[in-house]
Amino acid sequence: MPPDNGNAVVVEHLYKRFGSFVAVDDVSLSVGKGEIFGFLGPNGAGKSTTIRILCGLLAPSSGRASVRGFDVATQPEQVKRSIGYMSQRFSLYGDLTVEENINFFAGVYGVAAERRDERKAYVMQMAGLENELKRMTHLLAGGWKQRLALGCAVLHEPPIVFLDEPTSGVDPIARRQFWDLIYAMAERGTTVFVSTHYMDEAEYCHRLALMYRGRVIALGAPAELKSGFGEGATMDDVFIASIEREEALEK
Amino acid sequence: MKWRRFYAIFRKEGLHITRDWRSLWMALAMPLLLLLLFGYALTLDVDQIPTVVYDQDQTPQSRELIARLSGSRYFQIVERRGDYAGIIRRFDRSTALLGVVIPSEFGRNLAANEDVAVQLLLDGSDSNTASIAAGYAEALIMAYSAELRQEQMMRRGAGKLKQPIDPRVRVLYNNEMKSRNFIIPGLIAVILMIIASMLTSLTVAREWENGTMEQLLSTPVRPTELLMGKLCAYFVLGMTDMAIALVVGVGVFGVPLRGSPLLLIGASALFLFGALCWGIFLSTVMRSQELAYQISLLSSFLPAFLLSGFIFAIENMPLVIQQVTRIVPARYFVSILQGIFMKGVGFTVLWTKFLFLFIYAALIFTLANRKMRQKMA
Amino acid sequence: MWQRVLEIIRKELRQTLREPRMRGLLLGPPIIQMLIFGYAVNLDVEHVKIGWMDMNRGTESREVRKRFSSTRYFTIAAEAGNEREAQDLLDRGTVQAVIRIPAGFEADIKHARQTEMQILLDGSNSNTASIIANYATAIVARRNQELFAEQQKAKLVGRTQNGPVLLRIPGIHTERRVWFNPELLSRNYFVPGVIVNIIMLVTLSLTSMSIVREKEIGTMEQIMVTPITPIELMLGKTIPFAVIGFLDTALVVAIALFVFHVPFRGSFLTLIGASALFLLTTLGAGLFISTISETQQQAMMATFFFFQPAFMLSGFTFPIRNMPEMVQYLTYLNPLRYFMTVVRGVFLKGSGADVLWPQLGLLAVFGVVILLSSAMRFHKRLD
Repeated sequence: MPPDNGNAVVVEHLYKRFGSFVAVDDVSLSVGKGEIFGFLGPNGAGKSTTIRILCGLLAPSSGRASVRGFDVATQPEQVKRSIGYMSQRFSLYGDLTVEENINFFAGVYGVAAERRDERKAYVMQMAGLENELKRMTHLLAGGWKQRLALGCAVLHEPPIVFLDEPTSGVDPIARRQFWDLIYAMAERGTTVFVSTHYMDEAEYCHRLALMYRGRVIALGAPAELKSGFGEGATMDDVFIASIEREEALEK
Repeated sequence: MKWRRFYAIFRKEGLHITRDWRSLWMALAMPLLLLLLFGYALTLDVDQIPTVVYDQDQTPQSRELIARLSGSRYFQIVERRGDYAGIIRRFDRSTALLGVVIPSEFGRNLAANEDVAVQLLLDGSDSNTASIAAGYAEALIMAYSAELRQEQMMRRGAGKLKQPIDPRVRVLYNNEMKSRNFIIPGLIAVILMIIASMLTSLTVAREWENGTMEQLLSTPVRPTELLMGKLCAYFVLGMTDMAIALVVGVGVFGVPLRGSPLLLIGASALFLFGALCWGIFLSTVMRSQELAYQISLLSSFLPAFLLSGFIFAIENMPLVIQQVTRIVPARYFVSILQGIFMKGVGFTVLWTKFLFLFIYAALIFTLANRKMRQKMA
Repeated sequence: MWQRVLEIIRKELRQTLREPRMRGLLLGPPIIQMLIFGYAVNLDVEHVKIGWMDMNRGTESREVRKRFSSTRYFTIAAEAGNEREAQDLLDRGTVQAVIRIPAGFEADIKHARQTEMQILLDGSNSNTASIIANYATAIVARRNQELFAEQQKAKLVGRTQNGPVLLRIPGIHTERRVWFNPELLSRNYFVPGVIVNIIMLVTLSLTSMSIVREKEIGTMEQIMVTPITPIELMLGKTIPFAVIGFLDTALVVAIALFVFHVPFRGSFLTLIGASALFLLTTLGAGLFISTISETQQQAMMATFFFFQPAFMLSGFTFPIRNMPEMVQYLTYLNPLRYFMTVVRGVFLKGSGADVLWPQLGLLAVFGVVILLSSAMRFHKRLD
């Protein structure tokens, strides 16, 4: 099935309820191929839930979403084959070495035998862990763990990657380096869907959606969103203003 | 199912198992520990029962009876000059289980061709030993009684006579009557159950708790591959334990293995597979390790230990419980084990039990597979 | 200080009792174990299935058969026509013994010749095998006595003034009197022991697991940086499970008394006091295990590894008396052994502290020692 209008991700009126709690409230957006799409918002805004739905980990309560043309509700397996996912919680195996984790995910993602060594080398270099192959993963510092997790998520060269708060708890320098990696991936045509609660990282995205209480309260390129706020406006300003506007509307 | 993905899971599980050296060495030492306990320390055989003798008569006849008692391996006379109060006191303190009271008219009555009664006082709190002790004591006294009658007959000129019926007891399969020859084969079932249910019950639950399950779910890994990968890794561990038990049981404890080792390995593999599937099923359903562990103890270990016929004979259980044991796979496996080790029987005799194990394994595998699929969807 | 301890206790209880499955876990296993041990485990040998191979089929052999089938010890479950069938019955485990009557049985008896009767015994379970042999030979002995009397009637006629009279041959018979458990019910023996098992299992695993789980998920780290002292943490982690242990004990004792009607002849005070002393041991052991385990899996395996042998060697099912001497000495170091004696004593024998003081004293000593040494290992560092 061809992707919708060349878009990598299409979300239409997505809802997700947990009992009486609405985690995702009528979200609609689309992400183009090769785009770095940012998902901003405070904790509890519904970012992780949305990402999980897009990865086929949760079923939507209503609405529709498709990744690379595959419907996430009815074709989750096809979706999973073409994505990489990095969950919010660090979820590589702490009691395995760096190399063993890489080998495992290479096997599990079905990286072709001919490509394996090359991809392994690439990932190790990307994570900067060429000399730490035999180190126990739980002994790595936070920033390295994140890079390793990112590496494992792209071993199979997926066309689209979902990163759920990949830089939380990481120092600013490491964060900067991480985003360099993301840029490099996007340049090669990978679509990156990344969520964060760091407002400054918003600047790095091509387009972004601001989420608050399950709803998308602003959508567009950073420059677009900041226009109308004057010189020197930051995403923080945009965000706070958007929230205040929402709360006023609610009254 | 793709071989690559299965193999990746299998390797990962293997690494987990070998990395956790604390768990690993306990898993491998477990069979040794149990073998030591059951092969050496624990026995249900009843002998050397601490006995008090209260001889109110003090005649050659009563002393003869006491000599019989003390000469038997079943009784250990701890006091020869007991009295009622003393016996009760000993019961209270659990320093004696049996009191034999010989009445004062013992010798007199026997000489006058009158019947006489010997009292057996029992501490009933250990009812099993008490019943058996009473049985042995009665048998011994009856034998003495029969001898006395014979002597009387001879004295009346009836000539040297033999017992009309001479009961010849021939013991099959376990001539030396060593309880360990019987317990150790059944122990293999318990060992496998412990490893299978305990360890596998934790494996999936742990991934839920750590969050690595979520990562796995986002990959193309199919539920069956995950199931098989984990199964095979723990299967290797289980069969290793079985090999250890076999080698130590036969080589160190000298338990005879009269049947086919190949059949034994086949049965073990079949049983282990079913047990592993059950553990993984529990682990998938209960997302917490502690819960999974407790339920696995209840549903795998306890039945294997109590209801499999390994120590406590099923024939002696209430009928309702006997029916319950029909769905305990360990029961069939213990039967097979005892048959192969001690009786040297083959597939033709045991095939019904193999069939049950096979059906059980297939059923639980399907169940585990379905549950895994459900939880991963 | 107590403020902080109370906080931890509150948290523990909330965590443990929140999930319905956990709540079920506190009730389920004790009840199930009680039921199994109360009803299923039975070491009495009765209704043993035997096979009958009668090569004679006369009145004499039928008479012997009646003796066997009418006793509650045996049930004639199968007939065998020849050696092969008999062997097959035993091989398959259909019967545990085969009685074989030779072809010349009746003739021999009629002519006062000694005849043979074979008891083919499945010796696999040596325990029951020797009991079966005993019962079988006892039945034969009784028949022998009767036959003897008949055969020798002629020779037993004595001469008195009033004519010939049948002389009596004296015999010894036995009378049984049973203390403490007159019906000799297995369950009265096992159920008190299960109480020990359950207290041990519940408090040991809950204590060790709760500490290790926090280590595993990382919240322990969080607690360690607070001003709480190791003692307070220890108390907070053990008291809730002591309480739960007591509640489970009460539940199990109630089942013992009201469902199984196990007699209780002693004093509740002694039982409660002994339980409290025993809890010192189990909670201390739980703490100890938590200090040597990093993951829940390790804690569980360690619990099982230490608890199983301790329980087997406590005199619960396997009498200590029958163990090899060296092992018997080893059991002196086993606190479960003493608690087992106390529980059985209190239930069945009505023993009080006057009889049980050695056990109670030792329980106290063990409990304090184990608790103190575990406490010393328990400190607020991550390694």
